[in-house]
Amino acid sequence: MSSNESATASLADAKSLHKTSVSDEVVIKFDDVTKTYNLYKNDRGRFLGIFNYNRKGSFLGSVDASKNLSFEIKKGEAVAFLGHNGAGKSTALKMVTGVTHPTSGMVEVKGRVSALLELTAGFDMQLTGRENIALRGQIMGLTRAQIKELEPAIIDFAELGLYIDQPMRTYSSGMKARLGFAFAVAIDPEILVVDEALSVGDRAFQRKCIDRIREIMMDENVTVLFVTHASSVAQEFCSRGIVLDKGTKVFDGPIDDATAYYEANY
Amino acid sequence: MFSTLATILKDNWEWRKQIGRLAVFELMKKSRGAVLSWAWFLIKPGMYIFCFWFALDVGLRVGSPDAAGSGPYILWLCAGIIPWFFMQDMLGAGIDVMHRYPYLVNKIKFPLSGISTIFTTATMIVQLMLMVVLFIIYFACGIPFDIYLLQVPLLLILMFVFWDIVSILFSQLSAISKDVANLMQALSTPLFWLSGVIFNVKAVSIPWIQDLLFFNPITFFVTAFRDAFYGKVWFWENPMMCIGFAVVFVITLIAAVFVYKKFNEEVADVL
Repeated sequence: MSSNESATASLADAKSLHKTSVSDEVVIKFDDVTKTYNLYKNDRGRFLGIFNYNRKGSFLGSVDASKNLSFEIKKGEAVAFLGHNGAGKSTALKMVTGVTHPTSGMVEVKGRVSALLELTAGFDMQLTGRENIALRGQIMGLTRAQIKELEPAIIDFAELGLYIDQPMRTYSSGMKARLGFAFAVAIDPEILVVDEALSVGDRAFQRKCIDRIREIMMDENVTVLFVTHASSVAQEFCSRGIVLDKGTKVFDGPIDDATAYYEANY
Repeated sequence: MFSTLATILKDNWEWRKQIGRLAVFELMKKSRGAVLSWAWFLIKPGMYIFCFWFALDVGLRVGSPDAAGSGPYILWLCAGIIPWFFMQDMLGAGIDVMHRYPYLVNKIKFPLSGISTIFTTATMIVQLMLMVVLFIIYFACGIPFDIYLLQVPLLLILMFVFWDIVSILFSQLSAISKDVANLMQALSTPLFWLSGVIFNVKAVSIPWIQDLLFFNPITFFVTAFRDAFYGKVWFWENPMMCIGFAVVFVITLIAAVFVYKKFNEEVADVL
């Protein structure tokens, strides 16, 4: 794996202003991971498919969202996943967060994962913002005292004002996204997964988000995975880039080389 | 098989704090936005009991079917119908919990069997509130506290475990296919009328039909609760009833473990 070696080598120089240090501890390991989705014409077809009864016409085929994907990410690295729509970036990140399981291969993740996958999802619309903070915190396994401690910072960051005690169904989409972002960055994650989440709110809020992510990234113990189409954003934040195409890894190396490869080929 | 069962038990134990708190949130959500909030958990069953009592005792005059029993028909009715409220919720929403908490399935890492336990716990909290009311009604009617009532906590635990397993089994399937949820909801009505909730199964004169009815777990729970409160009998004094339930329990457990093993990794992809 020559690309891997060059990735670590480049960390020492130009990109060191982004990431202070990278330890040798592997926190995320994908070993020959394949994720296959079987597609059926309708739910009935899928149900029959469970019993290996694939009637003609109902089984449409299968798609490998990830195919023989292998990589290791060390503690403290900031890695960008580049690729166009349908390249399998989100599927890979979903497997990191543990909500999806690989069809074959092994995924190993060590540490608390905080995902900025879909910011507005994962909230209960009937509960208030404050209750949702408590709810999510509890699901993450935080104690009541820890939640109480984090709460002011989250509310302050999300700029929700009086709305924090209103049911979330009354929120605008921007408010939901801001709260989602504020929560995900407040809990001091060990692994932060960011999926196109930076287009939240107005310019001032975006700047605040970017500052906060940069702050998290400077912490040498936090590993960051970043999904984007835009090379400039990737270059700003990350030190290493992995280019995906049709579920397979086509390039893995320093971010400048990766973005150059991506720009040239896609 | 056993490793899957161990996983289910381990997940539920490790996440017990989250499960407990989420169950409380579930109830908060239900009572939210209503002025009477928590009272609705009692008003609805109260209406139900009144209607059955009025239709059956006052209207049809079929009251007091238990020869051995003492006390009015409404006491006999309450002892069976209150556990039914728990089972009704489990057969309705409890067998489709994945669609109730989609964010726990595919947005946040959470053990899928734990989602069933959240709902079962929430429903059980309501059931415990109703049980307190039932005890008050019985004491108010002058029926003494005796040793037979010790069956009640045991039966509540058994009811919790059994319906949690049922929920694990069917919610996996209904996440994959809507047919399962519809089927179970359609079965809910026959399961109710073919159980002993509003008639006394022990009074059915054809023995083999009586035996067959005991294979309905609802019959088991309703009859056992009634024996504890009203009939003053130990539930194991009726061996056919216990055999019927034990068979259904084991089959359900095996099916649930098998289904969980096969589908728990797929559910997040199809929901």
